[in-house]
Amino acid sequence: MRISEQVGIAGALSVALSLVGCRRKQERGNAVPLRAWTMWGGDEADAFQVVVDEFNRTHPHIQVHNLAAVEDTKIIRAIVANDPPEIFTLRDPGYLGSLAANGALLCLDDLFRQSGLNEKDYAPGSLSQCRYNGKLYAMIYLQDCFALLWNKDAFLDAGMNPERPPRTLNEMVEYARRLTKRDKNGRILRLGIKPPDPLIIIAAFGGQFVDPKTGMPTADHPRNIEALAWYRTLIEAQGSSEEVNAFEAGFGQEMGINNPFLVGKVAMMIDGQWNPYWFQRYGPKVRYGAAPLPYPDQYPEMKQPTWLGGNIFCIPANCKHPKEAWEFLRWTQTVEAQVLFASTMHGVPNILEVRKERSLREGEPWKRAFAVFMDVANSPNARHFPPTPITGLYQYEIYNAADFVRYGTKTPEQALRDVQRRVTREMLRWKR
Amino acid sequence: MKRTRDRWRDLTGWLFVSPWLLGFLLFTLYPILASLYYSFCDYRVLSPPKWVGLSNYVALLTDRDYFLPSLGNTLFMLIELPLALVIGLAMALLLNHKIPGIGVFRTIYYLPSVMPVVAVAVLWLWVLNPQYGLLNAILTPVLAPLGLQPPGWLADPAWAKPAFIMMDLWAVGGSVVIYLASLQNVPAHLYEAAEIDGASAWHKTIHITLPMISPVIFYNLVMGVIWTFQYFTQTFIMTQGGPQNATLFYALYLFYNAFRDFRMGYACAMAWILFLLTLIATLIVFRTSARWVYYEGERR
Repeated sequence: MRISEQVGIAGALSVALSLVGCRRKQERGNAVPLRAWTMWGGDEADAFQVVVDEFNRTHPHIQVHNLAAVEDTKIIRAIVANDPPEIFTLRDPGYLGSLAANGALLCLDDLFRQSGLNEKDYAPGSLSQCRYNGKLYAMIYLQDCFALLWNKDAFLDAGMNPERPPRTLNEMVEYARRLTKRDKNGRILRLGIKPPDPLIIIAAFGGQFVDPKTGMPTADHPRNIEALAWYRTLIEAQGSSEEVNAFEAGFGQEMGINNPFLVGKVAMMIDGQWNPYWFQRYGPKVRYGAAPLPYPDQYPEMKQPTWLGGNIFCIPANCKHPKEAWEFLRWTQTVEAQVLFASTMHGVPNILEVRKERSLREGEPWKRAFAVFMDVANSPNARHFPPTPITGLYQYEIYNAADFVRYGTKTPEQALRDVQRRVTREMLRWKR
Repeated sequence: MKRTRDRWRDLTGWLFVSPWLLGFLLFTLYPILASLYYSFCDYRVLSPPKWVGLSNYVALLTDRDYFLPSLGNTLFMLIELPLALVIGLAMALLLNHKIPGIGVFRTIYYLPSVMPVVAVAVLWLWVLNPQYGLLNAILTPVLAPLGLQPPGWLADPAWAKPAFIMMDLWAVGGSVVIYLASLQNVPAHLYEAAEIDGASAWHKTIHITLPMISPVIFYNLVMGVIWTFQYFTQTFIMTQGGPQNATLFYALYLFYNAFRDFRMGYACAMAWILFLLTLIATLIVFRTSARWVYYEGERR
């Protein structure tokens, strides 16, 4: 082989290498292509695809392409690399604050106003999950909400009235104690209640994460301390932390027939609105009830507390087709889009009017329990974690604090004061 | 002056290595240097880095809540190295016997180390399950008569790290194969000579086998030190750092800083401290090696 030939081959190789991956799929027709990167996988991705297909059918000038099961960090990398999709969800809504604080998201306030949407139509705690520093940076498409679920057979087994769930938190501790069952060697067979998420307990106590005026953390708020102290009481009513933890480690997949609630390993749990449908699918014989969460005995004004989450959609600040991207988000707020998604994804509609929709409340047996969740979500005591630039860290710190309190390594005051010190420092760093 | 033909030849050479060279410069050298710069910055990934001098390093070295405990957790895992050495070597010696079917045994003991770490982690989540796990199913009947409860393993802050060590020792086969290869290279005439002099099996092991394979022991030790400092996948999948931060290892905390909390500058500083620590630990091993590592053909 002559040298010039070798040069040619080497050159061609490097050119070829550098060209790989530069191809783009060409769109057919004149429709504006929108890339949507969403968090859902499996059955849930199919449910969202139905929504996308419906939108594409009714909006021929736009073609939404859904990419399923996308991790948040992939989206963040795409934003940094300046090639984000036109629409994306955040699996962890905790990222909203940090993305907004860095100017990575399109502010939706003007689009929201111009498109004739009315804030009054929105459920409490829906748009507030999308706001950072008073500005709208996301659109919510269905909410999550939490209520108490109890196994009626477990209640009967413990000699309790299966139609009477606990109403106050102290009552719940007593219930948890009575419902916990052990074998003759003292090993736990059934927990009274699955250890709940500490954030929900703090919310139920009327606790506070951030000062609404200054935006600074309030991790060691007196109500938060009370909440964690109660949390420890609840765990200890059922056994030592080590015992409960070891028992918990044996729980199977929640989305399936080994769900600890369905196999009778827990008699009560505080969980989300997706459960009634799962129960129908994975354990149709289990007799259960759904009710609002119990409230603290000493704070009757906190009746019907609940914890909210939601599916958050964002448009990146440097989006090439913001108008079309917004058209999709705007459409998700229509009655038909809300009903369509709520009936397949089993989320709570975020438009108040849609919660009255009869097709979501009547029909299959699980829908009666689902309706309880939709009513609970209307409660004035519904709370969610406020969007901050440090939400991920903040929540991790609270979970850690709860862990320390549960094992008795730290008192609730101590644990939350440590959290306060660390998250305040981090918040100041962001304000710099 | 070089002839044109030589010039062409040089150019061709450069062009052929250019894919690798460009890859190295862009994707290895540049990120390494960039991370050094970022380690002196407040860098939130989504906005440009701001120079803050040494403050990341100062903050790290005074962090008693996470950084120092994560370092402590990682150092604890160094206990695994001597254990892996003894167990790996013992297994290699056993598998070095010339008996029928030895190939089957070698395959069986090597098998765990070819399994992907993620699969092993999920498998051991089951084995270590305090309620239904295989391990406690064996331990419970043994401990029950003594009035003892088996440990909660990953659910118990005191037992989580030992559980990880146990799991890793199960996959010690990788180093066994290396020991085995070097055992086969020990010249038989040395053993014959020793036997003529009346050496026992024990003496042969101590005075012939160990010195002859000491370079391989050394290699496994150095790799083990580096591997321990980078301990990540198992804890990321199995415990995410819990319970009570007992398994929050250095690399996991680094990952959290970089990708959960947007503290990339902090994470880069951690990476450089990790580099220095690994370097120091490796140097210590190298320094002591002159005393116990024997190379054939080398003069003392």
